[in-house]
Amino acid sequence: MKEIIRITVGLTVSCLIAALVMGSVFVITDNAKKHNEHVNVQQTVLGLLGYTKSRPAPSDLRLYTIYRYIISDGDTSTLGYMLPVLKGDSVGYQLAVIDLDGQLVNQFKLGVTPEKASEPTERSAALKEVLKPPRTFVYADSTIIAKLGQRRLAYLLPGEFPGFKTFIDVMLALDPSFKIIGLEITEQEEDPGLGAEIKQDYFKNQFRGKSFEKLKALHVIKEPLPEEYKEYLERGKGRESPIPEGELEIIRSKYQDKDIYALTGATISSKAVTDGVKNMVTKFAYRITRLDSVITRQHIPVAF
Amino acid sequence: MPATTKTNFQLVSNGILDENPIFRLALSMCPAVGISTTVMNGLMLGTAVLFVQVFSSCTIAAIKNHIHPRIRIPTYTLTIATWVTVIDLVLAAYMPAAYKEMGIFVKLIVAFAIITMRLEIFACKNSVSASFWDGIGMGLGFMFGMVSLGLVRELLGMGTILGYDVLGFRPLLFFVLPAAGFFCVGIMMAMFNYIELVYNRKKRAKQV
Repeated sequence: MKEIIRITVGLTVSCLIAALVMGSVFVITDNAKKHNEHVNVQQTVLGLLGYTKSRPAPSDLRLYTIYRYIISDGDTSTLGYMLPVLKGDSVGYQLAVIDLDGQLVNQFKLGVTPEKASEPTERSAALKEVLKPPRTFVYADSTIIAKLGQRRLAYLLPGEFPGFKTFIDVMLALDPSFKIIGLEITEQEEDPGLGAEIKQDYFKNQFRGKSFEKLKALHVIKEPLPEEYKEYLERGKGRESPIPEGELEIIRSKYQDKDIYALTGATISSKAVTDGVKNMVTKFAYRITRLDSVITRQHIPVAF
Repeated sequence: MPATTKTNFQLVSNGILDENPIFRLALSMCPAVGISTTVMNGLMLGTAVLFVQVFSSCTIAAIKNHIHPRIRIPTYTLTIATWVTVIDLVLAAYMPAAYKEMGIFVKLIVAFAIITMRLEIFACKNSVSASFWDGIGMGLGFMFGMVSLGLVRELLGMGTILGYDVLGFRPLLFFVLPAAGFFCVGIMMAMFNYIELVYNRKKRAKQV
């Protein structure tokens, strides 16, 4: 009996000590960790827009984030867009509730700043204030809109879709006509040497410059990647490109409307990325067009 | 096993050669087969294991007199889990660049047999400093095994080393697939044992 008590006490104490250590480290490091994640996203965004250390982003580049929620009220569900709106000089948030036919149902002012809105808990708290039960809401996705001066520069879509093994997380940059500016694979666990090659320049850069019309009918073809196209896709990676400056444009237009060349031994991963991207862009284009028409009709003073 | 009489240098070299975790003790074979597809993976996982092994060994050696013998295995697991979590959080917070590369590997370590086994047969019977050197030896030995496996598999499978193209073509894609891990580990283990045999035969011949 004594033995059992000693064992129980010993185990409890060790667990408590371990929990204490882990908990305190978590509390200490949490802020820095969140900050790093934020910086990470920021870097991916700037990288996709073509801004690097040697070519820094202009000072009038602004990034605004729209959060989309699905609101359900009994049997009916509506879409809730958290839109950044201009409030004098600062930016606030407003919730626009839009039904499935694209009509504005309701709008609310939200008490969150853009900095706080990047926290899921802060967002839920702000939404709970205006969406009283029995209405419930679930987070769907977010979109970052890059604005340069008065003009929309690009849409940045973080998204995920199933790959060959697990989900592939990507960040996609589109110009205002939904042409792809760039694709970045942020997280993937495909097979090394096979599916993991999706993060290589010679695969992901194939999406660059595909127009919306072409994208809707984009396929994966099982043909070897032509050498000159590979050189073109991998250019500017620290080493001297063997393609003369004048020929870049020729190669670009030659492969502009080509389908995606599949990776050797990873057709499923290649197809997953292509279909995923296709899906993301077509859905997004539909949604943003509807949202834009609501915004212009209702004169919502959006920041983007 | 009584407290060790080996010098610090012997403790380190013991982990790398005589009791190499992968090739001699045949422990932690899952990562050796699964993750050793590239040199970089091996290096990252090796570094992570090195840190966790050293920290856990020192902790257990320090508190060994307070652990009830019946609950020593849960305590070891808890210690390892705590250190893994701490390292994971600290890396994520203060070294984001390293975390980007090592993040997924650090979380894997909790279940590694080599660390628990080292705590059980070495750290709980020896002083903190001896455990520290033993941890370093085991960590380096594991890293050495992973890197050499990664070297072979990356070179034969993808024709690259550390991501740099050395061969210019891909000899045998098969080597980066999980199944090839078994072949590589087996063949390299045999080579390692053979070299050890030859080496020790000479040493024994000298003694006579």
